[in-house]
Amino acid sequence: MDKLLPDEARRALKTIDKADIVIGIPSYNNVRTISHVVRAAQAGLAKYFPQFPAVIVNSDGGSTDGTQDAVLSTRLEDTHLLMLSTPLHPVHRLSFPYHGIPGKGSAFRMIFQMAKELGAGACAVVDSDLRSITPEWIDLLVRPLLHGGYDFVAPYYHRHKYDGTITNSIVYPLTRALYGLRVRQPIGGDFGVSSRLVSRYLARNDWETDVARYGIDIWMTTIAIAEGFKVCQSFLGAKLHDAKDPGADLSAMLLQVVGSVFILMEEYAPVWQKKSGSSDVDLFGFRFDVGLDPVEVNLDRMLNAFRRGCRELREVWSMALGPEPLKQVLALGCGSEADPRNFHLPDELWVEIVCDFACAHRAKPIERGHLLRSLTPLYLAKVASFVIETRTLVSAQVEERIEALCVCFERFKPTLIARWKGEARSGQPPEQRAAGVREEELVRMEAKK
Amino acid sequence: MITTLQQILENALERLALIVTTYLPSLLAGLTIFCVAYLIARLVRWALARMIKAAALDRFLAQSGLSSMFGRSERLRAARLISGTAYWSILLIGLLTGLSAFNTSLTSRMIEGAVFLFPKLVAAGAILLAGAWLGQFLARSTLVWAVNEDIPYARTLAAAVRIVIVFVSVVVAADHLEFARSVFLAAFIILAGGVVLAASIAAGIAAHSAIERRLEAPQRTGRESEKSLWNHL
Repeated sequence: MDKLLPDEARRALKTIDKADIVIGIPSYNNVRTISHVVRAAQAGLAKYFPQFPAVIVNSDGGSTDGTQDAVLSTRLEDTHLLMLSTPLHPVHRLSFPYHGIPGKGSAFRMIFQMAKELGAGACAVVDSDLRSITPEWIDLLVRPLLHGGYDFVAPYYHRHKYDGTITNSIVYPLTRALYGLRVRQPIGGDFGVSSRLVSRYLARNDWETDVARYGIDIWMTTIAIAEGFKVCQSFLGAKLHDAKDPGADLSAMLLQVVGSVFILMEEYAPVWQKKSGSSDVDLFGFRFDVGLDPVEVNLDRMLNAFRRGCRELREVWSMALGPEPLKQVLALGCGSEADPRNFHLPDELWVEIVCDFACAHRAKPIERGHLLRSLTPLYLAKVASFVIETRTLVSAQVEERIEALCVCFERFKPTLIARWKGEARSGQPPEQRAAGVREEELVRMEAKK
Repeated sequence: MITTLQQILENALERLALIVTTYLPSLLAGLTIFCVAYLIARLVRWALARMIKAAALDRFLAQSGLSSMFGRSERLRAARLISGTAYWSILLIGLLTGLSAFNTSLTSRMIEGAVFLFPKLVAAGAILLAGAWLGQFLARSTLVWAVNEDIPYARTLAAAVRIVIVFVSVVVAADHLEFARSVFLAAFIILAGGVVLAASIAAGIAAHSAIERRLEAPQRTGRESEKSLWNHL
């Protein structure tokens, strides 16, 4: 038995011995919402999988607000459920603190380890801060694994147009352009994973990196897609949740999420360089429109952050961006002051920025943490531009805007591949090559001089 | 009178001839040694710059951030680093060998001093290099952090961090070489005292502003509304 598991988990494994389904809930101080999540999971298992032995595992990061007690004391009122079949097995509820780096990734690791030890054929993980989870989510996340032969079920939600901006502006378009699959919520947070894929995740040795924190979602999705596992999506309705870790700042999130995307880009370079275009992914569930929580945005603060970046971070950006995009960015910074309400960061420029940062992340002209954190003002500029452009648009029109950005990423891919391989930018002398330039080539150039 | 003058001149010329015959061969030998060393050093530097690929070392320099230590225009590269080190080492050895050709107590003392000082110089150089790298690293960290946290004068703050770190490394290197210890130490104490004083004043002002912000509800609401965007992935 793996030493990752705490003693109480090992004891529980001896008692339970076997389960077909494991529902994992990572948590940290989520006493307000976790009871609802546990109840929904338990009801989902009882209603849709009454014949399967199942376990709900709460992997806790050391909550001090009684989250673990809430998990263990939550009771399901059976009378409130319309169930045509009687559950054959009781649903076990377990709650343990995980070991390792504090973060969602470490919590998932323990859940996956438990699933493996129990020999579960399907494992679903759901966030503990969800307010919109229903028993149907469990069905939608687990059934494709047990009956459809899928290995990975990604979520598909309705979200407010200003919610999920990292997903919409970077992670979804980039992942789609790279790996050729249109997984709309690659960092959604609620997934279904087959036993085959669980074993693959556990066999990897990068659990101690940013994967252990916010990077876990994109890490799971990318591995599933890039390694050819069978992937589908399930429509779960609205995603309403409590605000994420209030202590976490935006640049730390960007560092972990985008850093994970870029690291995986390096690992799977031979895979994504062979792909072009993108294709749809099977989508399960009945699609319907839902009411969403409004998301407040502060345009002035975002644009101020961008302008500040233009003033102060030129030297850092010049190590990642080519001369032309840098010039355009700085011009935008000046222009935004004169006319902030019409601020517009073109998709083409944004795509070039992201791809240049990816190449610089690989070439390491500066420390990666500095590079990724310096992306924050540029990202805020893109969000501000997106907010201004979509202010009067409805959900479907916003999706069209995101689709246009994705197409732009896909069109840029041949250039990205060329830059990734260290080829010069068109029309520039070799001395002015920016990110992505191979070190050996520069040494050779210096020797020639 | 003329005889006396002639004698003095003869003596002076004799002494000069003696000096010339004593030292000129040594000087010529020393110069020859140094010139040969210089030529060898240039040849070695040229050869090493072309022969060394050292991709692994280049990667290490890039990954550690050492390569961008002097900014974007002056990238530190393995080939340049190794060939430069070899060049200066050969030149130094040539100089010391050239001096040894004089075989005087003064040159012997100089060579002895240089040989004894060499390890200390290397250590001091390493301290300075580490200080420069750390200064660059922390300055960039400060700059990016200050920009993202909306702290005013981000670049000035970063430059100050860099100066302090480099200055500390200079003090440590000087202390290691036992060079002007008290001067550097006094300067360091004055600087550290100044920094502490400035930090205290800044903390006081910040605390005042923080209390003010707490008392002003509308501003707090604005901050919360911003977080609601930033906390949604």
